[in-house]
Amino acid sequence: MDRIVVTGIGVISAIGHSVAENHAALVLGKTGIIKGGGNFPSRYSGLLPFGEVLTGTEELKEKLGVTEPGVTRTSLLALHAFNEAIADARLTPNQLTATDTALVGATTVGGMCLTDELYANTHGDTEHIEYVKSYDYASVNLHIQTRYGITGVVNTLNTACSSSANAIMYGCRLIKNGLANRVIVGGADSLAKFTVNGFNALRILSDEACAPFDQNRKGLNLGEGAAFLVLEKQADAAGKKIYAVVSGYGNANDAYHPSSLSPEGDGPYLAMKYALDNACLSPTAIDFINAHGTGTENNDEVESRAMLCLFDTLPDFASTKGFTGHTLGAASAIEAVYSVLNIDRQELYPNLNFNVPITDIGLEPVLLNRAATITHVMSNSFGFGGNCTSLIFSKA
Amino acid sequence: MMKLYIYKTTCISPQQTFGENIDIETLRPSVDNKLYAIEPAYPQFKGNALRRMSKSTRIGSGAALPLLADAVQPNGIIIGTQVSGMEENGKFLNQIIEYNEDMLTPGSFVQGTPNTISSQIALISNNKNYNLTHVHRGLAFENAVIDAAMLLNENPDSRYLLGGVDEISFNNYTLDTLAGWFKKEDCLNSDMYRSTTDGSLSGEAAAMFMVGNDKQNAIAQLKAITTIHSADVDVIKARIKRFIEENLAEGEQPDLLLTGENGDKRSLPFYTSCDSLFDKHTTIARFKHMCGEYPTASSFALWLACNFVSGVLTMPQHMIKRKGEASSFKNILIYNTHKVGQHSCMLVRLPK
Repeated sequence: MDRIVVTGIGVISAIGHSVAENHAALVLGKTGIIKGGGNFPSRYSGLLPFGEVLTGTEELKEKLGVTEPGVTRTSLLALHAFNEAIADARLTPNQLTATDTALVGATTVGGMCLTDELYANTHGDTEHIEYVKSYDYASVNLHIQTRYGITGVVNTLNTACSSSANAIMYGCRLIKNGLANRVIVGGADSLAKFTVNGFNALRILSDEACAPFDQNRKGLNLGEGAAFLVLEKQADAAGKKIYAVVSGYGNANDAYHPSSLSPEGDGPYLAMKYALDNACLSPTAIDFINAHGTGTENNDEVESRAMLCLFDTLPDFASTKGFTGHTLGAASAIEAVYSVLNIDRQELYPNLNFNVPITDIGLEPVLLNRAATITHVMSNSFGFGGNCTSLIFSKA
Repeated sequence: MMKLYIYKTTCISPQQTFGENIDIETLRPSVDNKLYAIEPAYPQFKGNALRRMSKSTRIGSGAALPLLADAVQPNGIIIGTQVSGMEENGKFLNQIIEYNEDMLTPGSFVQGTPNTISSQIALISNNKNYNLTHVHRGLAFENAVIDAAMLLNENPDSRYLLGGVDEISFNNYTLDTLAGWFKKEDCLNSDMYRSTTDGSLSGEAAAMFMVGNDKQNAIAQLKAITTIHSADVDVIKARIKRFIEENLAEGEQPDLLLTGENGDKRSLPFYTSCDSLFDKHTTIARFKHMCGEYPTASSFALWLACNFVSGVLTMPQHMIKRKGEASSFKNILIYNTHKVGQHSCMLVRLPK
């Protein structure tokens, strides 16, 4: 079987509207998490820090040339990153409409970013019904499919915070099983009253910028954004820039609790182990781990223990949530782009806001931007419902 | 050829499809244009846990439990659903607005994410294997089927739990009605195919399948599946024709065509053009008067097809649109479309 390679990447997040802008912020250690961005209506906007894309929804529509009704902010963010990825991979219109081109996207908010509008519609407002056809998760990818006339396999996944890692895994499997020759995979989520209040009610939102793996971490910051990657068979990618190889993936369930990880971290451990097995790599081969590292009490401790359990000598690791916030269904795809950049640029980016290692664990993440020899990067994502997925990207 | 065999299947639906006394002969009526699932008592779930579960989680894990009774754990759990948990999301949405984003409880938020069904099944059966939830609207179940078929290709000798689940919630019923997908005038399920207006009746169900690639002990084989995205009747007709040509012997016709005809005048042309592909050999039957319209209704059709092909159930008269000459159903074609744009074909046959 041909290796599956990354030939295009696109990202929009709180630290930039393009791969180049995101990269510049990563190198500088410049966070996108701020208070008072003001692009989504919520009493917590301005009170709590968020990783906002500082462009209004109307402005995004204009920039993307979206004039049809019913297109949500989630879809706009997805389209923005999708456009960059397909241009980067130089996919032609004919390739996009070919039956062997698949689209696999993930989202956890989808059209439910329109909390107020949905409430109005379900309580008798029958005049403003622009969005009633786009309340679900599939609406995001159906919009992209319609816009580009995609005729191959199109799918939408939602496994909470690991959604887009599963989209990347699923895209690779479509190629390996002969159901597609090229796939565009990723995820998108926009900030919404819905998720902000959900995570706030769970009391895991920090009122400061998140501090992954720090003893005094206070929780996560929500963010928004999108990222897509174009994956092709190596033989089909002749003459193209090859950013990295997708060399492994592992999916496991923690089977412990609806919204927190088991103390033993069985799900995270198994996802990482299955990814290594799938890539035929030993733990010692991994040079860097882009950790899930949300900054919550539960995740960072469990993830640390699971990593220590699997790796005799823990490689360098860091979480990029301090830059972007936790972008939920987009997180794994955004971090996949960052992992690809680790390989392509042969450098590591810092874990922001870290001061004191977690007591009893004592791990210190990467704290400064620096050059490094990177062959294999593991990227972790763990979600509600115990849905855990790890990916491995390798130097081509 | 896909090596996807089905060993056991269960279904909690608006009809008497679950437990010991399955009876699809008697058609249970719709209420207020809705077909609600008949829920069993769920003796396995304890009080608090049961109270916290959304309806889709109850019917999904309730239908899955009998399939998990065997000692061998499935190597993965794969669920297709459009927006399971929407009722819980609706509750949370209302809290946000009505309490002005203050003093909220997270229960509904956590239960409202659609991967709750697959994770709840993993939790109650302590299954730490592969776990994935497909939410691609009217093709959510079909994508779950494709996932299972790929897994069986990648991991021969494995078993997977595959399911399709959706629920009627106040929110999705209201939104889909506003969008014109459910009938505005009163209509009974027994009359729905005579209706000449837009929209269908709303439904819900959970259908679960234990699948593998070994034909021993199988009740049915899912021989092929295809998904199509188009609003053009001619494109769809040509694709269904090609699907049959690719998957049946030359000149062979399905013994039974099971369609998702739903009483919506906008989708009728797709179903009648599909009907017209087959001659008097083929019996044509419909199922949505039993389960209602919902995004993963093709999983209910697959449950029926498994039971017809294996001879466990006989075709009730109320399903038949046109009686054909075939004396038994060895090959069954399921054709379904959801909201006109998304279509699928599945070919089910007796394992041989």
